Amino acid sequence: MHDLLVIAIIAAVLALDDRAGWTSLAAEPVFSCLIVGLVFGHVGAALRCGVALQCVWLSIGAARGSRRPHALVGGVVGAGAVCLSLHKTGDPREPLVVAAAVFCALLVAEAAQWCDARVGIGRERWLERFRLPADFNVATRNVTLYSLGSALYIAVLTAVLAAAGLFISIRLVDLIIDRAGAEAGMLSLWMSALPAIAVATIAHAFATRALRRVAALGFLLAVVLSWLL
Amino acid sequence: MAPVTGKLTRGDLNRIFVRTLFLQAAMHRRGMQSLGFLGAVGSGAGRVTGDPAALLARHNDHFNTNPNMAPMVIGGVLRIEEEGGRGGPASVSRFKQACASALAAAGDVFFGGGLRPIALTLATLFAIYRFFPGLVAVFVLYNAALITVRYRGLSFGYARGWGLIEAFSSPRVQRALVLVRTGAACAGGLLAGVIVTGAFQRGTSALATTVGVAALAWLAARRGIPPWRLALAWFPVAWIIARLLH
Repeated sequence: MHDLLVIAIIAAVLALDDRAGWTSLAAEPVFSCLIVGLVFGHVGAALRCGVALQCVWLSIGAARGSRRPHALVGGVVGAGAVCLSLHKTGDPREPLVVAAAVFCALLVAEAAQWCDARVGIGRERWLERFRLPADFNVATRNVTLYSLGSALYIAVLTAVLAAAGLFISIRLVDLIIDRAGAEAGMLSLWMSALPAIAVATIAHAFATRALRRVAALGFLLAVVLSWLL
Repeated sequence: MAPVTGKLTRGDLNRIFVRTLFLQAAMHRRGMQSLGFLGAVGSGAGRVTGDPAALLARHNDHFNTNPNMAPMVIGGVLRIEEEGGRGGPASVSRFKQACASALAAAGDVFFGGGLRPIALTLATLFAIYRFFPGLVAVFVLYNAALITVRYRGLSFGYARGWGLIEAFSSPRVQRALVLVRTGAACAGGLLAGVIVTGAFQRGTSALATTVGVAALAWLAARRGIPPWRLALAWFPVAWIIARLLH
């Protein structure tokens, strides 16, 4: 219960930054998983989870309006599931635990995005009902109250989604770990293949001839550096 | 920083700047950032005009732009209102919408297509190598850039007023956009290279899996299928294949 509360608070604070604030990148999986890992211990496992999720959800397109799943809830829940599962079971098969947690994070993020869109309709309708008062002081006060109310709504909703997601994910991770016998190797392979999605995203995002050449240059640089070092 | 000339002091601009950090707190589909815009403009309205209520009423309409460029528009609008809104409320509104559209395009390319991808790809690289100082550096530098653009943008917009759009038509801005987008492509290629070489070092099967998955995900992306849905779908497929092989 205490762990769920901590995860909910972390998710709420990050949601304020991501949705109501200046979007500082703290809500991105690579950072949110690091934060959760630092709070619960198991930084390494949490960061592995964060890297996998970041590669899957690599947001490098210029277009606004394109929707990822709820990466904040997914990242926080994934890292939380990893840390709490390792804490509880001490399972030496860390790659399997991380793979199970990443899968749960992907599921929870999709579900959270769906819930957020449905439940967020209430917030939308409330904000659209705003009418500007004639008195300046009342108007500025009302604008501030609406902004604060909307931010609070976002924070509370994200906290609830994260707590519910973690509650389900911990059980699902335990189930996957218990049932995975011979499948463990294949699931670890699935996990190790997830960064390949980032390769595809990069290739798709920088599809013009000029950018493709620069990306290829970066690719060659990485190959040369890995060969030299 | 150049001294502020006008009715708003540096302290006023600082207060407005803090409001702009939470521009998206009350974002909604119909008005988009309208409430955030009113909140920011409202904190300086009393200083620039004798009828701040009328100023708010004039700007109580749809507003949407890149949030990092919005302070520039807010500064420009406050200057125009301070100068008496030459041309009438309709021309001020047209100016605001024109600025919002132009800066949205530039901001999306610069931040969404450039700076943010650079930061995220470098952060992922540092996370792969567990290089924590690098992660912290990326976070700090990215936010420093964001805050600086917003803060200086507000002062810039307030200084320029009507001349704001012309300032963004200069070749320097276009060169900066090309440069940051090029940097993002290079960082992306670097991350792709690290992923592929890491797979190569793990063995032939890992490399084959990585290349195969990348190809499938790329094809899916071209057809508009989100790659994260593929990742989700592959998990049960991998489980079933493992069961069948066993």
